[in-house]
Amino acid sequence: MKRSKWYIGSLMLLLSSIVTACGGGSAAKPADAKPSDAKPAASGGEAAKPKGDPVKLVMYSWRPEDKDGYAKIVAEFEKDNPDIKVEFKPFKSTEYNTILTNALQSGTGVDVLQLRPYDGAKALADAGYLTPVDKVKGIENIPDSYLDAARGSDKKVYGIPIMLNNAVIFYNKKLFDDNGLQVPQTWDEFVKTCDALKAKNIIPIAQSGKAAYLLSTTHAVIGPSAYGGGTDFMNAVLSGATNFKDAKFVESIKRMKQLEAYFPKDFVAIEDKDAQALFYTSKAAMYINGSQRLETFETNKVAFPVEFMPGLSGKKGDPAPIATWVDGSYGIAKSSKHQEQALKLIEFIASKKFGQMYSDELTRVSPINGVAPKHPQLQKMAAYAEKNSTPYLLLTKFSQGTPTTKTTFEDSLQGMYIGKLTPEKVAEDTQASADKWFKPQK
Amino acid sequence: MTSTTFDRKAEMNLPKPPARRKRRIAKHLVHLFLLPALVFYVGFMIYPIFQALLNSLFAWKGLTRGPFIGLQNFVRLFTETPFKETFVRALGHNVTFFIGLVLTKLVVAFILALLINSKIRGKELFKTLYFVPKLLSVIVVGFLFSLILNPTYGALNTLLAAIGLEGLARPWLGDPHTALYAIIIVNSWYGFGFAMLIFLVGLQAISQEVYEAARIDGASGLKMIFTITLPLAMPSIMIMTILTFIGAFETFELIYAMQGNNGAPYFSTDVLGLYFYRLTFGSVSGGESIGIGSALAVVLLVLISCATAVSMFFFKRREVEH
Repeated sequence: MKRSKWYIGSLMLLLSSIVTACGGGSAAKPADAKPSDAKPAASGGEAAKPKGDPVKLVMYSWRPEDKDGYAKIVAEFEKDNPDIKVEFKPFKSTEYNTILTNALQSGTGVDVLQLRPYDGAKALADAGYLTPVDKVKGIENIPDSYLDAARGSDKKVYGIPIMLNNAVIFYNKKLFDDNGLQVPQTWDEFVKTCDALKAKNIIPIAQSGKAAYLLSTTHAVIGPSAYGGGTDFMNAVLSGATNFKDAKFVESIKRMKQLEAYFPKDFVAIEDKDAQALFYTSKAAMYINGSQRLETFETNKVAFPVEFMPGLSGKKGDPAPIATWVDGSYGIAKSSKHQEQALKLIEFIASKKFGQMYSDELTRVSPINGVAPKHPQLQKMAAYAEKNSTPYLLLTKFSQGTPTTKTTFEDSLQGMYIGKLTPEKVAEDTQASADKWFKPQK
Repeated sequence: MTSTTFDRKAEMNLPKPPARRKRRIAKHLVHLFLLPALVFYVGFMIYPIFQALLNSLFAWKGLTRGPFIGLQNFVRLFTETPFKETFVRALGHNVTFFIGLVLTKLVVAFILALLINSKIRGKELFKTLYFVPKLLSVIVVGFLFSLILNPTYGALNTLLAAIGLEGLARPWLGDPHTALYAIIIVNSWYGFGFAMLIFLVGLQAISQEVYEAARIDGASGLKMIFTITLPLAMPSIMIMTILTFIGAFETFELIYAMQGNNGAPYFSTDVLGLYFYRLTFGSVSGGESIGIGSALAVVLLVLISCATAVSMFFFKRREVEH
């Protein structure tokens, strides 16, 4: 009897130590490390090094394809900061959120992290997982509107924006020239161009619909032709003057439906890489995506000149709107025990030196004032954005809710293409999702 | 076995009083060998279950746990749009998945096991060949079949066109009417070798004398299968049916690899595992809800446990009857 009690007691002790060891889990509160913390402790998956040895910072990103470019940028940082080593750790974009969530909850594994823009960054900041970076040197060179992409509900900035993205319509200039086609400026001209290409057995638009987010990217480019460029429609939605059931927004969805005839056969079953292959092999004439694809075109050594059209004007002669948004920023994990070194890295990311290297190496537009992109296409995009940029509304303002309103919208578009939903129902479902969390700012 | 060895050693080599003591210690020491497995089991199975149960009882704001809210997450899961509709749709797909696997995996595997159990040549080769898919990773299988079923350059549509059946070619994974069934068939291809081996073990355990006696009584062919083979192979059928049920309700990786986390196209292949993943971890644009996700995990656990218990009861009764 005594012995069995002893066994049960030992077992309970063992179980309680396991539970204690595993404790925290998803309910773990973010670590309350201070920037001046210099105690040797676990961070970035390893213990802090004694003075003299370089400190290792682990930097998370969702861009594995940028690894080579980052290697050069990191080398430049390490040259100026021999006491810091940076391990760039990219993960597949679709798995990044899950991996980051686990790392932040456990308080280990990451020091500097790439933040999803707008509501993504806000959620992490509000949950207390990030260190504010308001006071970082160089932040004054980034316009406030771009810093909004990394602000918490307390209005503090928690990340340094690194890239601006533009969604555009890329086209095969040779195919257009060979077929005597002019670059369309309005929706009607665009439809005529698509008809002309289709008549010549060329797929007008290499669109994939398997990953639904690609559909909302296309909508960000096509949509403003129906509801207008600039920020008027966005402001009207945000103020509550209108909503997603607005006839203009429904019209933008109808235009997406109309494009179905110009997408590849069975496009809902094909992936983005298949769509790209159709474009690279000149089987398709146009391809809609973000400016980050310029780098992909160069990597794939596309055999024809690729040009782009920004978007479609409401009226011939008006400046075409170009969808522009901040596509990521870098912040510091509050749980990092190397706050001082992480701040140095963040300071470097806010510098013009980083902005220029990032723009040149990775073919992106930097949000830092005074950094001009070297790539001629990027220069053109920046010029269009200066004249008439329009927000990617669903991404920048409607990435909240479970599922997010953006996710609901793009999934519903997919539903529309397989005949399950009408354009009106897509708008209705999108608004129903927004109604659950969005309060108009009257 | 181990304790007997200890006993013998103790009796042979040591004087009586300490020997008895040592024997007693050794007898209990054996239990310590179970501890490492128990630690893993508790740490990776029991603890997460309790953690999920705990999480499901709290409000969550993003990754931060809020106040205790009782069963509200469960109520939202079953009563609020779009959670309830998504749950019912995904549950329906899990049921279809299970029925589909029974028809395409278990039935085929049983027939193959019957053939291999009969006196055919090269049975070892067939056994190995059928088992090979199980050696591959599910993610690799998903990737390979995504290529094979690709509507533009996939091998299946190319083959159909080559033999003059292009009318049958379709976007297998992009058509809501075929996507789920295509995945069920891929899953069956992946797992039927294992099921066949389990059935084969069950069939080989049936004494030949029973068949001989049946033959003397005039039974043959299908009658022997239905009256002798099937009832006597019931333990292996029970194991495989229950494993298939659990597999069908836990399924996640293959669909995630082939159709992404929304069970494309437009939730046509969505199942409870995917739905749990989306709720708990969100999508690229966020939208996670750990509370409702945890509530779903608890519901899933209860569902699988109850269904498994009921089917075990049913199968046990069948065994007794025969």
